Amino acid sequence: MAVGHGDSSSSDKKSTDALTDLQTFNAENLQSNMKVIYYSRTFLSIIGGVIAGILGFKGLIGFVFYFLVMAVTSAALTAKAKFSIHSYFDTWNRVLLDGFFGGLMSFVLFWTYPSRF
Amino acid sequence: MGLGFTVGVIGVLILGHAAYSTIQYRSLLKITEEEFSGPPMEVVLELLVGLLFCMWAALTVPGKFLSVHPHSDENRVVSLPENVDFMIFNHRGRAFSSEVGLKLKH
Repeated sequence: MAVGHGDSSSSDKKSTDALTDLQTFNAENLQSNMKVIYYSRTFLSIIGGVIAGILGFKGLIGFVFYFLVMAVTSAALTAKAKFSIHSYFDTWNRVLLDGFFGGLMSFVLFWTYPSRF
Repeated sequence: MGLGFTVGVIGVLILGHAAYSTIQYRSLLKITEEEFSGPPMEVVLELLVGLLFCMWAALTVPGKFLSVHPHSDENRVVSLPENVDFMIFNHRGRAFSSEVGLKLKH
């Protein structure tokens, strides 16, 4: 059987045929990019929680503040990716929504923690 | 990496100082028995500065974005191993047409 240019790739790729190039991507780099987004979002949710606790937000305004912080984070991450999402990720949802609810838990934890003062 | 980490630590310290000021302000309000409507203006400014520092650190410290595109220049798959002593080139691969534009990755 003809094998052709067998490329010994260390990074596993998901590929279909050569025409639909969007399906083929370097999964190892994609995972690394996802980790970067996850760290950024988690850290900023914790910081947002501390700030909401200091400012004394109670009730719905706190969640509004969290959405605001996450929106600014998404915009900043998009700017970090130089606005060409498709060269670093496969879908938009990853940049915008990944880590959103995990960050929400951290936010609520650090938001309600200073209220004992 | 080092600078971003330092900026992040400074941001967290500024937030800690703001928290300490707010706690003192609140205990003062308890003495005068007033309602806590919000921290004083300096604390709000401090929080804003701390938030900006932490945002900058959160975007630069975790690392750069790597390109996912398989055919970009930094995702080269063609590379030579370091020991060229055991590599032979006199095999049946000669029958395949070679692409002249292949570049080596170091």
